[in-house]
Amino acid sequence: MNAPIRVSGAARTLALTLNGRAVAAEVEPRTNLADFVRDTLDATGTHIGCEHGVCGACTVLVDGEPARACLSFAAACAGAQVTTIEGLDDDAVTAELRAAFNREHALQCGFCTPGMLVSSRDLVLRLAEPDEARIRLGLAGNLCRCTGYAGIVKAVASVIADRRARGIAAGTAPRPLGPVGARAGAGAEAAASLKTPEAVRATPAPPARAADFTPAHSFAQSFDLAFPKARVFALFADIREVAACLPGAVVDEMPDLEHVVGGMKVKLGPISTTFRGTARVTRNADTFSGVILGAGGDGRSATQGEICYRVLDGAMPGTARVELTVGYTLKGPLAQFGRPGLVREVAGRLIADFAAHLDARLKGAPAPAATDGGLNPLRLLLSLLAQRLKALFGR
Amino acid sequence: MKPAPFDLVRPREIAAAVALLAAAGDGAKVMAGGQSFGPMLNLRLATPSLVVDISGIAALKTAREEPDAVVYGALVTHADVEDGRVPDAGAHLLKRVASGIAYRAVRNRGTMGGSLCHADPAADWVNALSALGAQVEIAGPSGRRWLALQEFLTGALSVALGEGDLLVAVRVPKVPASARFGYVKHCRKVGEFAHAVGALLVDPAAGTARALMGAIDAPPLVLADARDLFGGRIDADFAARFDAAAAAAALHEAGVIDPVDRHVHVEVLRRAVRQADGLFSPDTRSAA
Repeated sequence: MNAPIRVSGAARTLALTLNGRAVAAEVEPRTNLADFVRDTLDATGTHIGCEHGVCGACTVLVDGEPARACLSFAAACAGAQVTTIEGLDDDAVTAELRAAFNREHALQCGFCTPGMLVSSRDLVLRLAEPDEARIRLGLAGNLCRCTGYAGIVKAVASVIADRRARGIAAGTAPRPLGPVGARAGAGAEAAASLKTPEAVRATPAPPARAADFTPAHSFAQSFDLAFPKARVFALFADIREVAACLPGAVVDEMPDLEHVVGGMKVKLGPISTTFRGTARVTRNADTFSGVILGAGGDGRSATQGEICYRVLDGAMPGTARVELTVGYTLKGPLAQFGRPGLVREVAGRLIADFAAHLDARLKGAPAPAATDGGLNPLRLLLSLLAQRLKALFGR
Repeated sequence: MKPAPFDLVRPREIAAAVALLAAAGDGAKVMAGGQSFGPMLNLRLATPSLVVDISGIAALKTAREEPDAVVYGALVTHADVEDGRVPDAGAHLLKRVASGIAYRAVRNRGTMGGSLCHADPAADWVNALSALGAQVEIAGPSGRRWLALQEFLTGALSVALGEGDLLVAVRVPKVPASARFGYVKHCRKVGEFAHAVGALLVDPAAGTARALMGAIDAPPLVLADARDLFGGRIDADFAARFDAAAAAAALHEAGVIDPVDRHVHVEVLRRAVRQADGLFSPDTRSAA
């Protein structure tokens, strides 16, 4: 086996070609290509806008093809040919585009222009005709807040028309399969040398007051159990028992019968975090209902939520139906990811698991082994985050 | 907007990647092109301790034709499909889907395998390949296995990958010459994730149809036998018999409770039906 290449959290030397010049510099694994060329290599022509692939300002050429520098980690581009706007000074297509941008007033503040020129150059090379609709589609991934795009579209169209008139055909250059810029990896690394990942760090969140809580979102779910109403309701009185049926839930302490301090590990796709917080639990034995009002956070985002439950007689004698109304409000970085439909979908899956665990518990089975996923409205809140990525890119 | 620190390793072989993932457990995440995972890292929604960058594994950058299918390596990019560097499972069929994914700069690095593993319900490959009845090959600590894409997609952002598992290939059945494919998505802005996806694979000669309604906040609703959407039979006039009420009922049963959502999804499927009926041409490409 070859020596392993492992870029650890500490910086390692990275070598690639920038604008035709071989460069090597220290880089952290988390450093994206845009920051690497700007901060380390002082090539500041590449601009950084949204940092999640939507605005297109950071678009550079990697192995001659446009790529988002903010979504390309520098360490993943070892050995690649990177061309930024500084490297296009002598490029024939870019020279024509510069003249056209100038002529058509295709820029104002200039922030989007480096990325706009890189994407425009790609369109000039690939589009057979100066079709306005195609050009607009092709520029949809580069946002400009000054020009209204009309000048940019005219500029690109004029360069395409001119080149086709000169007999220069459209086309794509041959290239190998796979992501541009991705060279062969290093030899296998002995798995044993890997350190065990650190446990998720629990960030204690200050207990939040839940007074005057009005949820921003809410949804209802229900499930059936083959046990009498009274028995189900009795089980709900035991917070530790209920928590045992929620994979990912931990009860740290119960200062009194009505208060719980604990946490919930939340996992959705690549997202994994732990919310810590407090909850107040109240019950009404007359109506077989109860309310769990909680607040917590993971150190950056905060949530407040309430679960109202009600145990009813089931359709068959001796069975019960549990109706849940879940309301929540989320603040902080996670809040921008809200997609209520996704929450309902995840809730449906989680509550099905929860019901199965409750059922096993009622039958006298031991606590279910903790599974990978968390299950609980707190986790549901987290699923919100998945959403925003939706507007970004995805695919 | 900068990721939390993580370690990065770039294996060269599938086996090495599987070993790394199996050893690292929950704190490790696979990154292919990074076009969906990158934003989650940048926004610190994902904070893995180890990123296994598989983009350096040459064995995943392949495509091969079988008599009745095309098998794409996990690292085949959207642009590879769009530009025809890999065989298409149907005439200009995947090419058309690929050209509508995000933006060209994203398509140059984003991969088919990565998109399926990210499993956003609104993503193009998740929907188009489900409509075509694709399978995925998974390499894991105990060997390789094939799984129907519908079994692979277990929920929103959720797939049937265990610890140490890596999606290595996607097998897409070839679409017969007599069949036609309609694929329509509804976006408010070009390049964003779809709000609704409709797809129809119909073969009037064989009398078969397979329909899909996607971007429903859950894995797509696939009607493997969609004859009920067309009055119980498929023939040359199938499109005229499209039964919107039957499609709406199927959505309702799948949990799409909002009537406006149902209306949008049914309308998008109707447009896919119309496209399959004849509006489709090789030039019908979604984006430049």
